[in-house]
Amino acid sequence: MAAMACALWASSASAQTLEPPPASPTAREVAERVENNFRGESGFLDATMIVKSPRLPEPRRMRFQSWDDRGGKRSFVRVLEPAKDKGTAFLKLHPNLWSYIPRVERTIRIPPSMMLQSWMGSDFTNDDLVRESSTLDDYTHRWLGVDPSHQGSRAFVIEHVPKEGAPVVWGRIAVWVDAARLVPVRQEFFDEAGEKLRVMTLSDLRAVGSRVYPHRWSMTPLDKPGHETRIEVNEIRFGEKFADDIFTQRNLTRRD
Amino acid sequence: MAPAPMEFARSLARPSTWRLALRGLGRQPRRSGVVLAAVAIGLGALVLAMALQFGLIEQMVETAIRTEIGDLQAHAPDWNEAPPLERRLPLAESLAALEGAPTLSGVAPRVRGEGLAQSPRASVGVRVLGADPEREPSVSTLASFVRTGAWLGEPRRVVIGSGLARRLGVEVGGKVVLSVQDARGDLTGESFRVGGIVNAPSRELDESVVVVRIDEAQRLYAIPGEISEVALRARDGEQLAAASAVAKRALGESARVETWRELEPMLVALLGLFDQMGWVIYAAIFVAMAFGIANVLLMSVFERTREIGVMLAIGMLPARMVAIVTAESVVLVVTGVALGLALGFGAIWLLRDGIDLAAWSEGMREFGVPTLLKPVARAGDVWAPLWVAGITALIAGFWPALRAVRIRPAEALRRT
Amino acid sequence: MILRLAWRNIGRNKRRTGLTVAAAVFAVVLVVHMIALTTGVHEGMIETNVRMHAGHLQVTGAGYLEDRTLERFARWTPALARAIDGAPGVAAAAPRVNGFALLSNGPASQGVALLGVDPAREGAVSVWPERVVRGEFLGGGEREIVLGERVAEALRVDVGDELLVFTVAYTLENAYEMFRVRGVLRAPDPTLDRSLALISLADAQALLVYEERVSEIALLARDAARLAETRAAVASAVTTVSAEALDVNPWQRVMPELEQMLVIDDAQNYSMLGILVLVVTFGLLNTILMSVLERQRELGVMLALGLQPRALFRLVYVESLLLSGVGLAVGLALAIPGAAIMEQNPIPLTGEVAQMTAQFGVDPIITWKLEAWNPLAATALMIGIALLSALYPAAKAASARPVDALRSL
Repeated sequence: MAAMACALWASSASAQTLEPPPASPTAREVAERVENNFRGESGFLDATMIVKSPRLPEPRRMRFQSWDDRGGKRSFVRVLEPAKDKGTAFLKLHPNLWSYIPRVERTIRIPPSMMLQSWMGSDFTNDDLVRESSTLDDYTHRWLGVDPSHQGSRAFVIEHVPKEGAPVVWGRIAVWVDAARLVPVRQEFFDEAGEKLRVMTLSDLRAVGSRVYPHRWSMTPLDKPGHETRIEVNEIRFGEKFADDIFTQRNLTRRD
Repeated sequence: MAPAPMEFARSLARPSTWRLALRGLGRQPRRSGVVLAAVAIGLGALVLAMALQFGLIEQMVETAIRTEIGDLQAHAPDWNEAPPLERRLPLAESLAALEGAPTLSGVAPRVRGEGLAQSPRASVGVRVLGADPEREPSVSTLASFVRTGAWLGEPRRVVIGSGLARRLGVEVGGKVVLSVQDARGDLTGESFRVGGIVNAPSRELDESVVVVRIDEAQRLYAIPGEISEVALRARDGEQLAAASAVAKRALGESARVETWRELEPMLVALLGLFDQMGWVIYAAIFVAMAFGIANVLLMSVFERTREIGVMLAIGMLPARMVAIVTAESVVLVVTGVALGLALGFGAIWLLRDGIDLAAWSEGMREFGVPTLLKPVARAGDVWAPLWVAGITALIAGFWPALRAVRIRPAEALRRT
Repeated sequence: MILRLAWRNIGRNKRRTGLTVAAAVFAVVLVVHMIALTTGVHEGMIETNVRMHAGHLQVTGAGYLEDRTLERFARWTPALARAIDGAPGVAAAAPRVNGFALLSNGPASQGVALLGVDPAREGAVSVWPERVVRGEFLGGGEREIVLGERVAEALRVDVGDELLVFTVAYTLENAYEMFRVRGVLRAPDPTLDRSLALISLADAQALLVYEERVSEIALLARDAARLAETRAAVASAVTTVSAEALDVNPWQRVMPELEQMLVIDDAQNYSMLGILVLVVTFGLLNTILMSVLERQRELGVMLALGLQPRALFRLVYVESLLLSGVGLAVGLALAIPGAAIMEQNPIPLTGEVAQMTAQFGVDPIITWKLEAWNPLAATALMIGIALLSALYPAAKAASARPVDALRSL
């Protein structure tokens, strides 16, 4: 109850600083543009994931590269660092997910029951890694207002409310969208009682071709103190045509 | 003079023998009362003991079988060689074949699958049971355990156990996302609201089952028109074999029908153990009853040795004497048996709401475990104690009488 | 005076004495055996289940039973081991790590409950080592695994084959290791058989990066009847050496379904015992009453000779008590060795039931178990029955009128 009151106070406090929303675009349009800009089609990603947890004496860093072919419903991920996990690779060929472990030179098929498990111990799941569907249709959108200076920039604040039946655990999600570049910069996840449970911040916005992409993501579960998962993008490219031999079992076992 | 056995039989057929017997009994009201009480209480106790024994077994079967399994289940022929979702039955055909079958009182189609139940705070691996809201209660008692909220019915409403609700941190009306792998292999999910929370009588059920409307389960798993199993209830638990045969005939080669005894061998073993132990104890009470009756009758007849001696001295035929004493026993036993049955069934009736055992164990109250011990009366089961009471009484009456008449009158008179 | 008179009366009428004593003997023998039987069967079931896996007591991290995650742990330090091993009443202790893993062999993979056990200690607590049907149980070797029969079947592996164990470590990283199948065991129930894999505690702790942590420490008590005492002793022993809060759970909390079953069965058996006592009480009452009625003339004579009704009451009452006392003594003399013999020679179950119970690792027998309280309870019960059942006949005797009695001549 105290937590709920606290959350209500927090959301109303931030609401007080918001300016009224513009007449256009609509909240839905903002969400659509963000989706187009952000989720994009096929892409190559080189990133480092940093996991903080009270279980770990110091944060764990892991660098990986991913090839994501949306149209072909397939993706490929290879771990580069740390040395212990180097060469570990994941191949998703709809609907199967395989993983190769170089240390024991084995390929295993990850059964669907494990798809929703945490990916490499992060606050993301295996499924997050390979999900294809657009989440736009799972929500209705409405304006919360405009934040005149969210970390120095003007931000649209849009609320995503899951539709009845949509596979979303949250009660609602408040999203701060950089007004000029239409990139999400902050997401707050609430349960149905209105308690804020997670915060994701996206920062270090940089131009990638024709679009702007946040190069630093940070997910903080508020109900698990001491936990944080951060992704730092080293390189990202969109719209590439990938060779078919990337998405093969043979590529899984390839060693550089 | 006719041979003794014939004279005995002839005497028994004579109304005057019975009149004399009744008068004899009336002359000794206390003694008759004692014998009557021995027979009545012994038999009443036995009837109650038997009812308790059946009550126990029924209770255990009820908890274990009725909660979810049902009397019988029909599956695809090779169902236990693969995950439940991969071996399916057609819904419409199965229902058409089974519904209205003579020995079946309940037919409930089900979808079974696995999945992950998620709330903002937790994800729990669960067993998904797709159930028909109307038909399910005809087979299982699951619906009766709803503690808050309501049983299935409303669209997008699920029923979960109180343990699962606690782990997910949800209440009635709260949102639960079910993520599953459907029959095509795709990961998919939908959100549901908790329509009801059951206090399920087993930990497994309480902590890891989500009950979904069967049509929604079919949609979720992408198996339109198909099901995993049909749970059946036999019209009478005793007719398991008959019901099984009927179901097998109705479904033919397309499905495999198994009784709960085949599905739950561990439970059968356990019940068997309890049952055998119960019978040992029952036998003890049985013997105690027979002993009590025999004892009292022996006493009463020994006591009468003198009286019989007097009767013989004044010229009564020995065979007729034995017939009178036997008739007395018969009258006593018949009345005693009637009283005993009244006592036994009266006690059963008094205990019809069961004896609540909740106070005995804290662990039991945590779950929705039925903590009632209820005697279950089955008319057919009174015959064994009845025969034993009757035969014991007759032997105990006849034999001492026979002995008494063999004693010379003078000696009989002297003996008391 | 009364006692002597009563004793003489008993000796005088052998038949009556015989019948009454027989009734009492019978009652005592039945009660002792019934209690012994109930105790025996239940103890057998508890022991079987306790030895199957759970142990009499489980020391776990606080709240582990409600939330079985790696987050809830106890530290299996030498100090904790010493504290538990040294706690009075503890017969054996086995630390375990309970994890979840994916086992994989080629295209086949199977999710299992991964159990890390100390091969040197486990056998003293549970019967896992005895359930191995092929190969051997875990020994001192590294990266060896024992699988449930159906797990092995699903993965198409057998003794000597290698497979991959994949899990998420406590440190949240993916953990992989190749293990060699050392043994295949048959778990008592099919679900477990489909989902159980055992590795050594050291391997489990290394794989899960769990250091000296364990999920539970299963304990076997020296004397199951004094579990509460042992539990308290263990609880106080572990609090002094463990930095984390620990729970000490009795088997009733670990296996509530078993507890429930036994409570119901107990209630049923003791209801039956109550019924038996009722039947016996009435049997005895009837017998004594009969003997009083039979002696009406004699009693009438005694009254006519000037004996007080109160004295007559006492005479009959003491007589009855003496009879019951003799019955009790003879009954105990018969019942105790009888129950002891049954304890040594349990009744084998027959037919379908026997096959089933054997299949699940339960000895197919009905066992007797004679505990000290049992004959004491039977004695108390018998004395109660005697005191009660003699009341009415004695009152009846005292109320006999001399005229009535003489008239029946």
